[in-house]
Amino acid sequence: MFGFVKGLAVTISQLPKKKVTIQYPDVRPEWPERFRGIHELIPERCIVCGQCARICPTSCISLSGTRGEDRKLRLDTFDISFEICILCDLCTEVCPTEAIKMTGEFELAAYSRDELYKNMEWLYDNYIRHDGVRELEAAGEPRAVPEKAGERGE
Amino acid sequence: MEMKPQTAPAGRVEFEGFTEEESVRLQRAGVFVSTIEQLKAWARANSLWPLTFGLACCAIEMMGTGASHYDLDRFGIIFRASPRQSDVMIVAGTVTKKMGPLLRRLYDQMPDPKWVVAMGSCATAGGPYVRSYAVMKGVDQAVPVDVYIPGCPPSPPALIYGLTKLQEKIRAEARRKVGRA
Repeated sequence: MFGFVKGLAVTISQLPKKKVTIQYPDVRPEWPERFRGIHELIPERCIVCGQCARICPTSCISLSGTRGEDRKLRLDTFDISFEICILCDLCTEVCPTEAIKMTGEFELAAYSRDELYKNMEWLYDNYIRHDGVRELEAAGEPRAVPEKAGERGE
Repeated sequence: MEMKPQTAPAGRVEFEGFTEEESVRLQRAGVFVSTIEQLKAWARANSLWPLTFGLACCAIEMMGTGASHYDLDRFGIIFRASPRQSDVMIVAGTVTKKMGPLLRRLYDQMPDPKWVVAMGSCATAGGPYVRSYAVMKGVDQAVPVDVYIPGCPPSPPALIYGLTKLQEKIRAEARRKVGRA
């Protein structure tokens, strides 16, 4: 009986304290600056050096490009398989032009493994949703922000 | 007690063991079977009892999600220590080839209805051990997986998002197919 009262006393003493629970689905968590979330890609900045694909510890990045009229390489495809991507941030560290960066996005759970294979368009959508909102606004070409990446509002 | 199925005007509900014509008539009459299934799905989705099955670093993140900062109890998700009492299996971590048969046995010991969540890259496809000789390349080789959560490990909100997707799936299944065992 005494133990029960003692336990209740602990519970009651916690009642006036500040609530620590983050009400996630209603309130989005605030991530630190260097949080490693899902990537974003700006295809125009990419110079197809392939360093990201080479440094990737799980080889989850595959990319290809062609040389244009002006002797510069253009990105044709860029795919990340989030099945095996471990979000280690190495690809963004080696990228010389900051074409690939990390965002605060984390909602990527899917019903099938195929859905986790993301292409260039999806990654660019993710850019529009995150850093793109600010950067494209500053460049004077704001876009419709998709609800989720891959669901373009056009 | 007369209740109309929620999907009446838009999608046609198929009742198991009835012909198409009978299904239409049953649906028009406002059938109890449909609402029972949806009621069951509502109850199941809001009381997911996962099996405590942490295998690696993802387990730490899973514990963090269960603790007060993210508090899985808000969703009625309470961890159980026995497969006999649980209906969700959160495979949190690397499944080695040695662990594979045990994973299958634990899954078989769980009573129906049961679901599996593959948490993290390892459980989804092998993750950083994708070229290893000793690691299973995804738990879907041993058990049917309902939701895959990428990340290494996924942050607690990502896990909550995945579990919310599982709840959505349970509700959607009940709406789509009525009379499922």
